[in-house]
Amino acid sequence: MNYRFLSKKGVASFVTGLLKEFRVYGPVKKDGFPMYGEITSPDELHLLHTPTHLSPKHYLFPQRETLLRFKNGENHSIEPTVEAHDQALFGVHSCDIHAIRLMDMVFAYGTPDVNYLKRREKTVIIGIDCLPDKHCFCKSVNTMTVDSGFDLFLHDIGSGFVVEIGTRKGNDLLYKHAKTKKATAGERAKMAEFKNKKAELFITKINAEASTLPLLYSGSYFSPVWEKIGKICYGCGSCNNVCPTCYCFDVRDDVTLNLTEGGRYRVWDGCTLEDFAKVAGGHNFRKTRAERLRHRFNRKFQYQVDKFGGLFCVGCGRCIRTCLVNINIAEVTNELIEETNKDRS
Amino acid sequence: MKNKQKPKIAFFSFTCCEGCQLQVLSCEDELPDVLSLVDIVNFREAIDEKRDDYEIAFIEGSISRTQEIEEIKKIREKAKIVVALGACSATGGLNCLKNRFPMEEAQRVVYGNKAKNSKLIDTIPARPIHTVIPVDYYIHGCPITKSEFLDVLKSLLLGKKPDIPNYPVCVDCKMAGNVCVFEKGMTCAGPITRAGCSAICVTYGCVCWGCRGLVDDPNITAHEDTLKRYGLTVDGVLRGFDLYGGWEKYKEKQ
Repeated sequence: MNYRFLSKKGVASFVTGLLKEFRVYGPVKKDGFPMYGEITSPDELHLLHTPTHLSPKHYLFPQRETLLRFKNGENHSIEPTVEAHDQALFGVHSCDIHAIRLMDMVFAYGTPDVNYLKRREKTVIIGIDCLPDKHCFCKSVNTMTVDSGFDLFLHDIGSGFVVEIGTRKGNDLLYKHAKTKKATAGERAKMAEFKNKKAELFITKINAEASTLPLLYSGSYFSPVWEKIGKICYGCGSCNNVCPTCYCFDVRDDVTLNLTEGGRYRVWDGCTLEDFAKVAGGHNFRKTRAERLRHRFNRKFQYQVDKFGGLFCVGCGRCIRTCLVNINIAEVTNELIEETNKDRS
Repeated sequence: MKNKQKPKIAFFSFTCCEGCQLQVLSCEDELPDVLSLVDIVNFREAIDEKRDDYEIAFIEGSISRTQEIEEIKKIREKAKIVVALGACSATGGLNCLKNRFPMEEAQRVVYGNKAKNSKLIDTIPARPIHTVIPVDYYIHGCPITKSEFLDVLKSLLLGKKPDIPNYPVCVDCKMAGNVCVFEKGMTCAGPITRAGCSAICVTYGCVCWGCRGLVDDPNITAHEDTLKRYGLTVDGVLRGFDLYGGWEKYKEKQ
């Protein structure tokens, strides 16, 4: 792995360089809170941010995107559409990079999802180190650090950044747009110091090894916990929508006013919403909020793990922050752990 | 569509501000296309013509006089499809604020002392139109959004069931990339209110007042608890639902 040193001032000119080639999205302040947004100048970036309220997933998997356009009638036609442009995601945290790696697997699985993959191909990812807020629990799900899935990764060492080079593309961009020098052993040591300090700062924790969680969840299907949290849940879908690894969508058609042509688009959906598992005829496979929450939690800790081989919760804590009734995925998991331990003893 | 007769549609208003019909009229860019698909045969706010041979009736306003009950029943008899247009019609809307007072008092405050003896100015508790006639589809909102009106119209003309969201405004807010109102220290009816508005109020710095009515299965207890946690009193919580939720509350009391 190649490490370079970039001064704090150098970051600004690097971003200015990127802006010439890409649409750049990064952490900005919205109403005083950290959110991702498009930037036009490096001054808009707030790099030392706590997790953004929404994840950056919509830059790869937009809230709504057209998949094809069609014309009915005599000269009917169907034209697939892919909307993608060169973009750089700047200042992405390790949890979100892990999430993007998972999304890459999901959208390449089976019939490859051309729309996602094309957009992903045109995306440069530049990560940055971070410190946890009170909801973060990435350490508990092994996503506190990341060793691939980024083009560049910035480690703040106070005097500047140690830049970790992840890909050739990242390397070329860094050389093209920034003046760097080889990171010294001392500078690299500071990276490790930061990591050790970060590891001590977590308030939210899961009290078991991450690798044991799929088994825990498979044994907790009938736990009373689901009924308990189902009672207070709104079924508002906020946890789905802020989650960097929730990727479910609905597909709908839209026609223009001549009623003969239109587009087919996909739009975010969420498994905690009432109509998510409702099928033709009106039957709902997961009618209660408790069933829907259980499904969502299992998708993070068991079902997807079986299919893709990794936990689908990256510990970003966004669903905890967004939940108005304080349903806490880490605490719920701890309750399941306690229940299971009690059953054993 | 060329050889077929165009479907005939009509617009009617009961107790309301007619703002939702105004929304229809302000679809200036789309109206020429709309008129190539349908004939509008009755629309007091826009045209002089008044015919009764309509297939689809869009009805704005709540029912708040006995006379209106008879009128709306006649419309139902003639129309194949009845669509409630806007909050007053779909949920009772703001008009239901009246229901908190004795009807005599409401009548006197609005029309004066002489109104008591006038048969023309009777007043009954305001109610959504589905309490009086069967309603096929609902376009929610105060006012309605133009795009939703057009989508519903297109769906009806295609013989498709209109896609009316049954998820709360929180979804629209996240889609719009908004910071949650509660994060900013304010409170909001969004978590129990039907979406479809693109969270326009929150996007422009206000909060959701619930004009589109409740989702099918709202968790009211959760919302009351949340509002209390954010410092509202029981009274304040209840008042929070009043603006657009008056009918639901009146119904419970009966």
